[in-house]
Amino acid sequence: MNRRHFLGQSAAVAGLAFGLNGQASASSLKSAQIVVVGAGYGGATAAKYLRMLSNNTAQVTLIEPNPEFISCPLSNLVVGGSQQLSALSVPYSGLAKNHGVKMVKDMVASIDRQKKTVQLASGQTVKYDKLVLSPGIGLMMDRIEGLEAANKAGVTLQAWKAGAETTALHKQIAEMRDGGVYALSIPLAPYRCPPGPYERVCQVASYLQKNKPKSKVLVFDANQDVTSKGKLFKEAWAKLYPGIIQYSPEHNVTAVDAKTRTIKFEVQEDVKADVLNILPPMRAGDLIVKAGLADANARWSNVNFLNFEAVAAKDIHIIGDSIQVAPAMPKSGHMANQHAKVTAAAIIAELSGFAVNPQPVLTNTCYSFVNATDVVHVASVHQYVPAEKTFKTVPGSGGLSPAPTALEGTYAWGWAKNIWADSLV
Amino acid sequence: MRKTLAMMALALSGLIGLTTGAVAQAQDIQAQRLYNQSLAATCANCHGTNGVSVPGVTVPMINHLPESAMYELLMAYKTGKRTGTIMHQLAKGYTDEQLKTIASVLGKKN
Repeated sequence: MNRRHFLGQSAAVAGLAFGLNGQASASSLKSAQIVVVGAGYGGATAAKYLRMLSNNTAQVTLIEPNPEFISCPLSNLVVGGSQQLSALSVPYSGLAKNHGVKMVKDMVASIDRQKKTVQLASGQTVKYDKLVLSPGIGLMMDRIEGLEAANKAGVTLQAWKAGAETTALHKQIAEMRDGGVYALSIPLAPYRCPPGPYERVCQVASYLQKNKPKSKVLVFDANQDVTSKGKLFKEAWAKLYPGIIQYSPEHNVTAVDAKTRTIKFEVQEDVKADVLNILPPMRAGDLIVKAGLADANARWSNVNFLNFEAVAAKDIHIIGDSIQVAPAMPKSGHMANQHAKVTAAAIIAELSGFAVNPQPVLTNTCYSFVNATDVVHVASVHQYVPAEKTFKTVPGSGGLSPAPTALEGTYAWGWAKNIWADSLV
Repeated sequence: MRKTLAMMALALSGLIGLTTGAVAQAQDIQAQRLYNQSLAATCANCHGTNGVSVPGVTVPMINHLPESAMYELLMAYKTGKRTGTIMHQLAKGYTDEQLKTIASVLGKKN
């Protein structure tokens, strides 16, 4: 036995020993291809924190078709005309420049779970060892007869994914005759951003009160009552916008007639409106459904809440609005950002050979504007409960604002600027 | 030669034992640091990444607070000694130990 041979064997033994307690896996953190799909509040945060929490050693590719980030939170201010979309837009350049995330401007067309690749719309194939999907919501246009065509023609608008429709909706309201009717329909929960529709009602009412005071806001909610901040919104509607808003619960939209601008309901009489803002039922993003990962009611994805790995697929993590939520967990941008951080830490732990954090925590903070300046919030803290393998809100924690204030209005903007930076800069 | 080799093997195996122990310990520290950082990151949505706010925003600054002062403040919110718009609601959702960890990660050192 020569000396080199002996040392070689010892190194192999040492390597094995290190491997057993995980040291060898440090190389797997450096070599693993981590691919994140969707650069909203969830995906952008995941990409940034995968880099940050690995001391910039993880290789992270972020695939996103849009040229820049546009925030859904605060976009109701654009619908109401007190803000422009440009005030809610953030470039993606910070993720590459400040954090070394590899940005790919493309759309994922499909996932090959056997080969562990994603196919891009451009035709390119990208290999992954770990895949993080954050595609947001899919709108179930086909659940309302005539909606797909009406929305394509621009007769109805959803404006629930901030962008061109947000601006278009404001334009329709601004061009409406004084004395016209703006109608908003709300699908059964769960849907993206529980208080969002009711905040939109405030913003549209605020605009109409100033500019077209004879007009009305009709709200048709498929739910039994306002699903979030109910008392606060109803007080705001009565106090700030008397005579403008008519709220109708348990109104489930089944069809729209684009020609006559008519909304049809499961039970009640038809209603005509000048501006039709129809929000259809929602589900996980299209990519999730196409990949066969929507295993909860064929709408959402079940995940393991310790690492947000899909129950249906190893090495595919799903975060944000697409998941089957834990009790009292809202589908919000803030929550998606929090999912992303737990997921980033769990992926780094796994690739480093560490046990995953047994006690992750999530928070949610959601601010709603009742006019252009005054705001109410709802907040919650969600601790992981090992015995039930889910997150639960902590009794006695969280809560609502007592009433709208301008101070919380300034905090809402502070929250927005800090979370945009936390996710994207 | 054989004796020397045997001694070397013995020494090396001891070294490996020692090293794996040290590695395991170093890993525990690394893992704990990762968990602690991800816990503190729950604050970043409102207070900025690593507790550093975007300049000029109105959310109260926290990155000037020393570790002990930050922990005391968080506990004051949790116990109700101090109220705020939202922090007294959020602080109640964390264990004392978690608040201590958050202060140790985000609090100003020295």
